[in-house]
Amino acid sequence: MQLAKDNYMYQMVRCELVDAVGREFVNSGDADGLGHSIDYYWIPEMWHDRGGAPQRPDFVVHPGSSEEVAKVLKIANQYKIPVTPWGGGSGSQGGALPVYGGIILDMKRMNKVIEIDERTLSVTCETGINAQHLEWAVEKAGYSTMHFPASIACATIGGFLAHRGTGVLSTKYGKIEDMVMSLEVVTPTGEIIHTLPVPRHASGPDLTMLFLGSEGTLGVMTKVTLKIHPIPESRKFHAFLFPDMHTAMTAGAGLMHSRLQPCAIRLYDGPETARLIKRVLGIDRVGAYLVFGFDGPEKIVDLQMERACEICRAAGPKEDLGTESGEAWWRNRYKFFYPPYMFHMPQAFGTLDTVATFSKIEDVYWAMKKTVEENFPEANFIGHFSHWYDWGCMLYARFIFEKAPEDPAEAAALYNRVWDLAIRAAIGAGGVINAHHGVGLRLGRLMQERYGPAMTVLEGVKKQLDPNNIMNPGKLGFKGV
Amino acid sequence: MQINQFNEVISACRFCFMCRHLSAVGLVSCRESDTPRGRALIADRIRMHPEELGNPDFVDTIYRSDLSGANRFHCDGYHDGSGYDEVGLQLALRRDIVEAGFAPESVKAIAAEFQSSENWSIEGSGEVLYFIDPCTAARPDTTAAVAKVLNRAGVPFATIRGGCIGKALAVLGFASEAETAMRKFAAAVNATGIKTLLVSSPAAADALRNDFKTAGVELKPEVRFTAGYFVELAEKGKLRFSTRNFAASYLASDYLKNYLRCDCAEKLLALLGIENRQFGTNPEESFTAGEGALVLARLHPELAKQLAARIAARAEPGIPLITASAYTADLLAAAGADVSTLDEVAAEALC
Ligand SMILES: Cc1cc2nc3c(=O)[nH]c(=O)nc-3n(C[C@H](O)[C@H](O)[C@H](O)COP(=O)(O)OP(=O)(O)OC[C@H]3O[C@@H](n4cnc5c(N)ncnc54)[C@H](O)[C@@H]3O)c2cc1C
Ligand code: SF4
Repeated sequence: MQLAKDNYMYQMVRCELVDAVGREFVNSGDADGLGHSIDYYWIPEMWHDRGGAPQRPDFVVHPGSSEEVAKVLKIANQYKIPVTPWGGGSGSQGGALPVYGGIILDMKRMNKVIEIDERTLSVTCETGINAQHLEWAVEKAGYSTMHFPASIACATIGGFLAHRGTGVLSTKYGKIEDMVMSLEVVTPTGEIIHTLPVPRHASGPDLTMLFLGSEGTLGVMTKVTLKIHPIPESRKFHAFLFPDMHTAMTAGAGLMHSRLQPCAIRLYDGPETARLIKRVLGIDRVGAYLVFGFDGPEKIVDLQMERACEICRAAGPKEDLGTESGEAWWRNRYKFFYPPYMFHMPQAFGTLDTVATFSKIEDVYWAMKKTVEENFPEANFIGHFSHWYDWGCMLYARFIFEKAPEDPAEAAALYNRVWDLAIRAAIGAGGVINAHHGVGLRLGRLMQERYGPAMTVLEGVKKQLDPNNIMNPGKLGFKGV
Repeated sequence: MQINQFNEVISACRFCFMCRHLSAVGLVSCRESDTPRGRALIADRIRMHPEELGNPDFVDTIYRSDLSGANRFHCDGYHDGSGYDEVGLQLALRRDIVEAGFAPESVKAIAAEFQSSENWSIEGSGEVLYFIDPCTAARPDTTAAVAKVLNRAGVPFATIRGGCIGKALAVLGFASEAETAMRKFAAAVNATGIKTLLVSSPAAADALRNDFKTAGVELKPEVRFTAGYFVELAEKGKLRFSTRNFAASYLASDYLKNYLRCDCAEKLLALLGIENRQFGTNPEESFTAGEGALVLARLHPELAKQLAARIAARAEPGIPLITASAYTADLLAAAGADVSTLDEVAAEALC
């Protein structure tokens, strides 16, 4: 249902929403409408840049409690109005865009730290809390969430849960889904439910995991209990330059196979080393830059570092860049994302993140690179590998056009075509649709292709939980309005 | 339009989320539009569609801002001190709004009041001229404290009060009226021949040091902020403070920290032996309840109250708060916080 402002129905719904959350927390002004019409997805940015007005919500509602979320969802069900949860809007897949208008459920007012449990080492908070604010609060108590995504200052914890996000220390501390103990969720029909209090059990399928990555399509996550960690005594980094990506990958995989416990490993391909490592860190070299770190008690860190350096030296580096080059990377880890270091308009760019096993990951890289370069000779392709597992790692590939077509429809068509071809190439070579940014609007069309008949399972769950299809319709490959 | 001078800032901030965690107003309103990104999107929209400049919701959003320099300061940290001047963009937007005649009635009324209130009165004589701005004047404890410290140091001083030095007008977007006010103030001050102009208000310090220079208005005396001046008097042996031996949280002034990059407040606290306990969870947020916007408490009283309440709620029991500006101190006191200004704390510590 689309609501025109001059329609009495609009006023009827508005009154009910005001009754649910309070007058000052229902906003339908142009300023906020504009802010919510654009997230970090390139298409609405481009649309705006070309003078257009991306779809705005009818109402921006700021609930203050799970009960208020439930009330809003009941109203939305009553009138079959789409509801799109919004955290920080920093998602790159268009997941938070109100593509059918309706209600934006802006979660930022639900930002309380409820409890830091020092016996369990966990924190319970509302999900609208900004991730940096949560980290600061936990640090004040002497701990850390160890969740350090580049968007820590931009995004809410709910957004990370909804996209199965990840931070720079994931190699040791895990992605957000590894950090979650339990969840409170408001289902699309307005029931407040809790998943089991511990993440490991044999009490049926894992309900928590059902909601992680559901991108606001299966309900609203309102509270979460996350693991926290003591602040390590020491954290150290070291960097090497390898002659090529393959040799560096051998070293990186070697680190993981050795079952040492690096907190971070990052490997930049030749083009990204030449472009970004030079620009941001000032390290001007030809080859593949590999950096890794360890944290914990200093003696253990030193021991692991020594062994890791031996593994890297055995793999045949071009240069040992030493500790300082590694530390510089850690200090500047967020700098890559500030303008003008980050790509931005008039460039057209996208992060084609995917993940695969060690036996497939290089094939995935080359398949994507070949696809992008052959089909779009004017585009650059760069990539790095971060978030390493015992079995493989994530590829954070990017394509960059220095300038996209002026005509917005043409620009969108070009953009979508890159995604279609590149992600299909990744899937063909053993990758997946996405590693940690989610599916959203951008990649929904590939879900059916990737999941095949298994998609009916997801669709069945969606239908059962959200019979009126109010929750974030048109995202994650689910039906639109 | 004025905003065209800030095209680079608009282009950078409109799609950037990297400092939203420091948008004080955004943190209480939770609105996307109350962030540098939200405001830059508005500016961008106006740049492309100038007819939208008068959109009342856009105008309201631009005047809701606390003009804190915290975001700019954060951005600078990633750009070797030359980040994007998102506060400058907001001020330019305000000037455009005023020039196009779209300023809200409430804004016009405050501006008119400041313009008509110029009636500089100078009392006394001495080697220092203490400027009592309207905010500080409203907090007699602070002005009395400054007088006490100066008397104890044996520094003869005169006072000047009775108007707006242009800062409030500039902040509201009335650029030419602000310049007129600056010139009148400068003429009154310069005529005294006094060599040191002392201020307790960080906003006034910023205006006198930066805005006057930018506007090309000559101010003969050297401008000193009380905290820094008191430290200097102590170093010269003219003042003696007893060591206070207690913990307090100094809420860094937006103007001193983010605009003037001045650490005189911290130096004074160290001199007084006060343990400056980190407020809240981090040193980056602006905990000033809108000091940067100067008249936020009059323009949007509810919003200013919310900002103050957020700060008061974060205060640790038994740890008093210290502010640089009387503006912030008054708002926090009204929110139930135990708060003093730097000047008051210094006066209490006199031996
Ligand atoms: C500069 C920059 C750097 C980035 N770096 C990283 C990185 O290092 N790691 C990483 O993982 N991501 C990164 N991202 C992407 C982005 O920050 C993440 O996808 C993040 O999870 C989005 O969170 P958000 O709060 O901004 O969510 P939004 O963008 O507001 O929403 C994202 C999705 O989550 C849904 N949603 C939001 N809150 C809830 C809730 N409470 N319940 C249910 N659904 C909800 C929305 O409906 C939407 O579908 C980066 C983004 C930027 C701008
Ligand atoms: S001020 Fe800097 S960090 Fe903040 S939005 Fe603008 S460019 Fe981004």
